[in-house]
Amino acid sequence: MLVSFSILVIIALSIFMLISLSYTKDTVLDNSIEYTTKLVEQVNYQIESYVDYMENITALVTNYDNVNDYLFQTDLDAEEFNNLRAEILTHFNLIVKAREDIYNIAIVSDNNRYLINDGLDKLNTNVNVDNLDWYKEAISNPGQPILSSSHVQNLVEDDYKWVITLCINMRNPYTNEASGIFFIDLNYDAIIDLCEANSMSEKGYIFILDKKGDIIYHPQQQLLYSGLKEERIKEVLENETGYFITNEENSKLYTISVSDKTGWTTVGVEEVSELMKNSSETKIIYFIVTIILLIAVVIITAVVSYEISSPIKILKDSMELVQKGQLEIANIDDIPDNEIGSLSKSFNIMVYEIRNLMDRIVYEQKEKRKSELRALQSQINPHFLYNTLDSIIWMAEAKKTEEVVIMTSALSKLLRQGISNENEELTILQEVSYINSYLTIQQMRYNDILEYVIDFDKDLYSEKILKLTIQPIVENAIYHGIKYKGSKCLLQVIGRSVGETIVIKVIDNGVGMSKDRFDKIFDSHKVNYKASGIGVYNVQRRLQLHYGNKYGLDIKSRPNEGTTVTITIPKKRDNGLK
Amino acid sequence: MKRKRLINIGEIPMRRKIVFIIIAILFTVFLSYLILKTIDIESEERPKRIIFIPKLIDNTNDFWVDLIAGTELAAKEYDVDLTIVAPNREDDYEGQNNFIDWAIREKPDAIVLVPADYTISLPMVKKIKEQGIKLVLVDSNVAEKVEDVLIATDNFKAGREMGRYITSYIEEDTQILMVSHVKTASTAIERQAGVRAGLGKQEDKIVDVVYCDSDFLKAYNLTKEFIQNNPSINMVIGLNEYSSAGAFKAIKEVDKDRRINAFGFDSSTAQIKFLEGNYCKGLMIQKPFNMGYLGIEKAVKLLDGQELPEYIDSGFQLITQDNMYTKENQKLLFPFER
Repeated sequence: MLVSFSILVIIALSIFMLISLSYTKDTVLDNSIEYTTKLVEQVNYQIESYVDYMENITALVTNYDNVNDYLFQTDLDAEEFNNLRAEILTHFNLIVKAREDIYNIAIVSDNNRYLINDGLDKLNTNVNVDNLDWYKEAISNPGQPILSSSHVQNLVEDDYKWVITLCINMRNPYTNEASGIFFIDLNYDAIIDLCEANSMSEKGYIFILDKKGDIIYHPQQQLLYSGLKEERIKEVLENETGYFITNEENSKLYTISVSDKTGWTTVGVEEVSELMKNSSETKIIYFIVTIILLIAVVIITAVVSYEISSPIKILKDSMELVQKGQLEIANIDDIPDNEIGSLSKSFNIMVYEIRNLMDRIVYEQKEKRKSELRALQSQINPHFLYNTLDSIIWMAEAKKTEEVVIMTSALSKLLRQGISNENEELTILQEVSYINSYLTIQQMRYNDILEYVIDFDKDLYSEKILKLTIQPIVENAIYHGIKYKGSKCLLQVIGRSVGETIVIKVIDNGVGMSKDRFDKIFDSHKVNYKASGIGVYNVQRRLQLHYGNKYGLDIKSRPNEGTTVTITIPKKRDNGLK
Repeated sequence: MKRKRLINIGEIPMRRKIVFIIIAILFTVFLSYLILKTIDIESEERPKRIIFIPKLIDNTNDFWVDLIAGTELAAKEYDVDLTIVAPNREDDYEGQNNFIDWAIREKPDAIVLVPADYTISLPMVKKIKEQGIKLVLVDSNVAEKVEDVLIATDNFKAGREMGRYITSYIEEDTQILMVSHVKTASTAIERQAGVRAGLGKQEDKIVDVVYCDSDFLKAYNLTKEFIQNNPSINMVIGLNEYSSAGAFKAIKEVDKDRRINAFGFDSSTAQIKFLEGNYCKGLMIQKPFNMGYLGIEKAVKLLDGQELPEYIDSGFQLITQDNMYTKENQKLLFPFER
């Protein structure tokens, strides 16, 4: 029960674990996707704000009258020119000082007037501005700020830096033609700050693509440029759901947000295992809880099943005892106070009741036997009585006064003994005197054929014996053994003490018995009233009931030689079975 | 008898209970072990210790700066404890050997080396392997194949492509000066052989080869002197960054009527400016950053027990004035620095 119950619990707990773990995993992943989506949108928004801010600077510069005058006024004298230049430079200086992420700030007109940063930087004479993509785009979109992709800025002499250029075409107010540009080169400081500040975990990162899928910023930009690493740009550009999870050993979550303003795509990348870090903590907690539950359940199960099964075992064993009839020791002690306890109590009551019933049955049986015996005793065989009385008459007629006296007193003794004694048991002395009376009568009746000897050890006289044990045997010996012999016979009734038993032998040398007859005596379940009042079988049964199966009658008989009946009973047993 | 059996029956579940508790505890211990195992799978590994010895450390030389930047980035990526030591001059073989000797005694997990000389470095390079230290050679190799992995430009192929490109500029009266770097360096030997193979029949247009010992000034002086002494020279090929940059500078100064077509290897800012200014007609650029990065990466993979090819070509690219600002080539020419 313990094992099966524990297995059940383990299975149940495992299923619970699996379900909750996968549920947790899904939930964590869903939450992570939601979270990273928000985060990436946030970054995207911040980048838009950043570009907005830069565009404001652009507007500030391009609307600055001095700038227009400096670039396009044709009739400036040297002093005016230098003043304008100084003012613009101060302006530039203010802007650059406030923003560390501005790498270059420059105005260039197609009449070869230009001003870069602090005014000392020169245009790279080897580069034709008209060939530059971002310049071309700015020229063809008048008045609109243009944001380039990441590129090497080669317009400034001796400097080849990767930058993002924000430029705007400037209109010559005199000719109303697009004939100049203002540009800001942004280094990656601000973008790196934005992306790194918002990276979710140690291994997560954010990168930015332009409209065409070229990289604006990536934390491993150099590795990508060198072809040492690859990024899933194609998948990002083709994706429509806003996120995807890569199908590789260490799968990653890509979250995508496209800016309407810049056309840039911000992509957040996070290792799924990294997202699951919290869930692995949850996993540990689940495991620990499960194990604690498991241990608790096993222990509780063990205790409970012990509590239940051990009294059941006791109950079962007691029942086995009852089955075997050993009611006296079938009682259950130390009954716990629970369902099994009340069962045990009922069992105890039941056993007690059975024992009472059985005692009653035994008592009733005993009483029945007693009354039966009494009935038998009170009914001294009438034939015997008639015959005896006949003999007395006959002797009286023959004036054999002495014999009449003897016979009558013997009969009187016999009758008194038969009626008077209420007890089931008599002393052997009483029984012997009873037999003596009986044999006196019989000897006088069959004086020509019957001789008898009664020989008991004197110390047996005080021993007890069941009433009517020896007499029926003696009677049998006379009527079935001696009577038909035709010649003089000897009947010996001998009582001897053998160890703890009393052995009484009734020996006759009469006709004896054939095997058939012998069996008949023992098979007979009926009291043979006709023959002797109490049958031999009846005697045997009574003896065994009273003294136990070890005791009783043993009959040895040979035809024409005689019969020996041996009665064995125990000494000093005044109380039957215990 | 019966009573005794009763007691026995009472004992059986007790024994079973104990057995079961023991099983439960074992099961628990086993489970916890499994959990801890799966959790601690990324438990701290000792960072691999790698010593990188380039030919020299020179912050003015873009080739070596990029190469070292590559090793440093890879070291960061792969969590490598990287030490970089090198002499100040490229032809300081003894200095480099001393560094190798020091590195061996440091007993690192691996040594990544750019051998200074094809033959002189050999005994020391062998000693690294004898000490059971993993060895990755980068950029240059030595006379015998002792390294576990070599990561280098296929210098012969690069030279040959350069040679083939040059033939389109060769005319009847072309006279070529080749400015090489270190006579006994494998890169110099292979590139020269490559260029000669690429020139094919035009090989005899090579008038002379001079060696600048990877010294910018020496290259400048040698070239200047040679052109002044041989005014008929109208083509110069520099075989590495020092030779090219030095030669270009000399040409810009001496060749006022711009007769001389110059070609070079590698891509320093100075060289790029000459390319922009059309003094230089073509630069064969290597990928020093990749070499450095791969050098460390492959050393890590060797230490992780991976099978690797003995030679890894880090690649090269011919850059001309026309294609230098294409999307792809500007990535190769200009390292992205944060």
